[in-house]
Amino acid sequence: MTATVANIDNSQIVTLVLTAVTLPFVAFLINFLLLQKSKVSGWVSTAAILCSAILAVKILIALWNQKPITAQFAWFQIGITRYYAGIWLNNLSVLMLALVPLIALPVHIYSTAYMKHDSGYGRYFTYLSLFCFSMMALVVMRSMLLMYAFWELVGFSSYLLIGFWYTRESAAAANKKAFIMNRIGDIGLLVAIMIIYAMFHTFNMDRIFGEAGLIRKSSINGLVWTTLFEHMSAYWQYVAAAGLFLAVAAKSAQFPLHTWLPDAMEGPTSVSALIHAATMVAAGVFLLGRFLPFFNGTELHILAIVGCLTAFMAATIALTQNDLKRILAYSTISQLGYMVMGIGIEAYPSALMHLVTHAFFKCLLFLVAGIVIHEMKHIKEENNLDIDPQDIRHMGGLRKKLPLTFLVTIIGALALIGLPLTSGYLSKDGILIHSFEWSEDNVNRFAFVPVMAVITTWITAFYVTRMVVKVFFGELQLLKSNPALSLHLTDGGLLYKLPLIFLALCSLFPLFSFNPLSYEHSWLFNGLASNFLVQKNNYHLFVPIIVGLGSVTTMYMAYLSYGKHKWAFPQGGFFNRLSSNEWYIDAFYSRVVVKGVLAFSCALYWFDKNIVDGLVHLLERIGLFLSRVSAWFDKYIVDGLLHTVAAIVEAIGNFARRFQNGKVQYYLYSMLLAVVIVFVLKLLIWS
Amino acid sequence: MMQALFYLMAFITLGSALVVAVAKNLVRSIFMFFVTLFGLAGLYVLALADFVAVTQIVIYVGGILVLILFAFMLSGKETLAIAQQQTNRFISLNNLPSVLLAGLFLVVIINVIFKADVNNLPWIKAAITSQVKVSDANINNIGINLMTRYLLPFEAISVLLMLALVGAAHISRKEEGSI
Amino acid sequence: MITLTDFMLVSAALFCLGLFVVVSKKNAIQVLIGIELMLNAAILNLVAFGKYDRVNNGGQMFALFAIILAAATTAVALAIILNVYRQYKTIDPDKINRLKD
Repeated sequence: MTATVANIDNSQIVTLVLTAVTLPFVAFLINFLLLQKSKVSGWVSTAAILCSAILAVKILIALWNQKPITAQFAWFQIGITRYYAGIWLNNLSVLMLALVPLIALPVHIYSTAYMKHDSGYGRYFTYLSLFCFSMMALVVMRSMLLMYAFWELVGFSSYLLIGFWYTRESAAAANKKAFIMNRIGDIGLLVAIMIIYAMFHTFNMDRIFGEAGLIRKSSINGLVWTTLFEHMSAYWQYVAAAGLFLAVAAKSAQFPLHTWLPDAMEGPTSVSALIHAATMVAAGVFLLGRFLPFFNGTELHILAIVGCLTAFMAATIALTQNDLKRILAYSTISQLGYMVMGIGIEAYPSALMHLVTHAFFKCLLFLVAGIVIHEMKHIKEENNLDIDPQDIRHMGGLRKKLPLTFLVTIIGALALIGLPLTSGYLSKDGILIHSFEWSEDNVNRFAFVPVMAVITTWITAFYVTRMVVKVFFGELQLLKSNPALSLHLTDGGLLYKLPLIFLALCSLFPLFSFNPLSYEHSWLFNGLASNFLVQKNNYHLFVPIIVGLGSVTTMYMAYLSYGKHKWAFPQGGFFNRLSSNEWYIDAFYSRVVVKGVLAFSCALYWFDKNIVDGLVHLLERIGLFLSRVSAWFDKYIVDGLLHTVAAIVEAIGNFARRFQNGKVQYYLYSMLLAVVIVFVLKLLIWS
Repeated sequence: MMQALFYLMAFITLGSALVVAVAKNLVRSIFMFFVTLFGLAGLYVLALADFVAVTQIVIYVGGILVLILFAFMLSGKETLAIAQQQTNRFISLNNLPSVLLAGLFLVVIINVIFKADVNNLPWIKAAITSQVKVSDANINNIGINLMTRYLLPFEAISVLLMLALVGAAHISRKEEGSI
Repeated sequence: MITLTDFMLVSAALFCLGLFVVVSKKNAIQVLIGIELMLNAAILNLVAFGKYDRVNNGGQMFALFAIILAAATTAVALAIILNVYRQYKTIDPDKINRLKD
């Protein structure tokens, strides 16, 4: 590995990175400008992402565990301050850089088949390429300013894709919701960036957060926050941390701001797989990874608690959901909660490793869900049924109809549960073990965090099993009500199968570690953990065993409940209602926040109408009066002069005109009058 | 006696002319013009120009007036009616300005006449002894003068008269088609 | 004794009456009569002065010529009036303000 690095110098790397990042953008431009209606657009995007993936993997191999590389050029200048645009490649960013196209590639291939009959085919790939470009650019940017720009762009392309079927009202509402939620987070990020810039006088993240960065030379003493350049009240540091937390919560769907993610499932399933399961929602965790040195102990504790709470809450909600994609969405929230908790408990490498592994298996599960929904829709259209194709209560017995799909689903589900031999086991165990160590370090003040995390794991095992059983085991529930159904179900063509197989392989352990039971041997973990000391203690033995046994037990219980119908949860209880209503958080938002905002808007409207507009109207009246005065002046003084002149001219003209009226007698009369006047004058002069 | 006759004639002339001027009826004014011409002929006689007076009556009364009457009658019945109605109606000019103009002219001319003092002109004074007498054979003299001294104007005026008559006949004939 | 001034006063009055008729009347024939009145006023002057030219009879001669000219003008003028009437169906000089086109 070292040898390959030696003959690739920095400028080549930078060029490669830029190429990899720009390729999807080129595809976006081509699709946007030329191929909106064409079926070629899918292959343009796929080819671009393929090249990006190859380049990104090459970069990953070349730069893994090397010194971070930075490159930049002066972007613009305000006053004497220069602003730079540049890239910062460390282990984290090259890992993300490789992850995004690697996930995106199977999704692209899958989409070419999945979206084939959609009228918005070209538009779909245009958006998808835009998203890939923004996401890849986001992870390599060096300047916080540019990172923020791409952060927004990611949110925007996600907005476009959620509302892809914009004629559906629910899709339009969902993308609005996602956008607004993300705006809240964006504001937090912006505030944080401004405060950090004010304190450190630079946007370069590597100078602030890198090794021996400026952040290490700053300190908080009492209530004063001091850096090399400035010192100000420590509250600002808390504000910035809160802003960052908001950004993470919005993007990664953490507790207060998570409600947009289940609704975002209105988008095409392949989009959910790429954006709302694997990559974009991981951006928040990535942001935490970048800004990690910024947080102090208390703030990390809060992160851990919020992450844990989110994980637990989302898992309980997933227990009772009946919409296939909503289950997966809540499981995504739950897993993201794990990641945030991992960051909070300073299990930085495990958290990021979980990010990577989760990306693969969650993407896999979503693609499977896409196939299942596709087939259900197929049944629905073929038999003119009025059912929701995403409802798992209608499914069942698909194991025999879709054998490959079933197989990969099992792999994905096991990885999600975190059983040995899968990638999920490696990363999740890392987090869980570390959480116990962390709790111990904190004198068990936060003992509920690891306990809750373990319980969440068991719940996860339960709902995943429930979902798999309901979809794949037993008999097709639709057959019970409509025995005469005609069924033509297949796994789909190669374009469906290849991405599934690829992702399923990536969800197994060999990609990450050759020792299927020990995450410490993972190359990924070691690459990220270079700064962290690993403690060896009992937890490393007991935790996996407890977790594994518990998981298997709950899985068996779930199978008994849903597969064999031996027992069932009591329906209609408080916990059941709490779960199926998603903890009433959405209801709370619409009652309190939305109504509050509406009431506030009404008040503002009143203020605007009566006070602001009143002032404006007053000004308007004054203006009107002044203009009337000037109009009067204009009309009677200025115009009056002109009119006088005009009237004089007119009078002369009228007078002269009368001599040319074509009347002979009048001419004669005028002539004689002139003669007489001459005579009279002459007489007068004589006399 | 002469003086009285002169005033009588002048009165007839001016009075009938005044009626011509102010008459509302066109026919009446034409016939009053007839009276005026007779009055004038009388004045010529008083000026010892009996031949001119006779010519006046023959040509004016016998020729021109008859011509005018014919023209008036030929110009149509409607015109007659309109003319009768419009005798005293004025569209572009009121009576007053015309009266004023005429009055001014009269004042000016009278002024000029008195300023000129024609009775005391040198050549009038010189000719006062050799002026025309009532007993003179004026017509002889006129005839001789016409054929000798004024032969050229006489011939010219006769050619002119003929031209005028031919021209008048040409103009007043009915046009056939357009010219 | 009738003086020259008396004749001239009569002729001045006659001329002014003719002038008035010419200017004020709305009928071409009346206008023509007015012209004749003015012409006669002039002739009266000629005749009055002709009294003092016993040998050559200049005044009377020109009076005769003027009478004949008046006859000629009248004839032509009346012919024109007839034609105008045929063309415009009116003999009001104020209304005859269009060229023949």
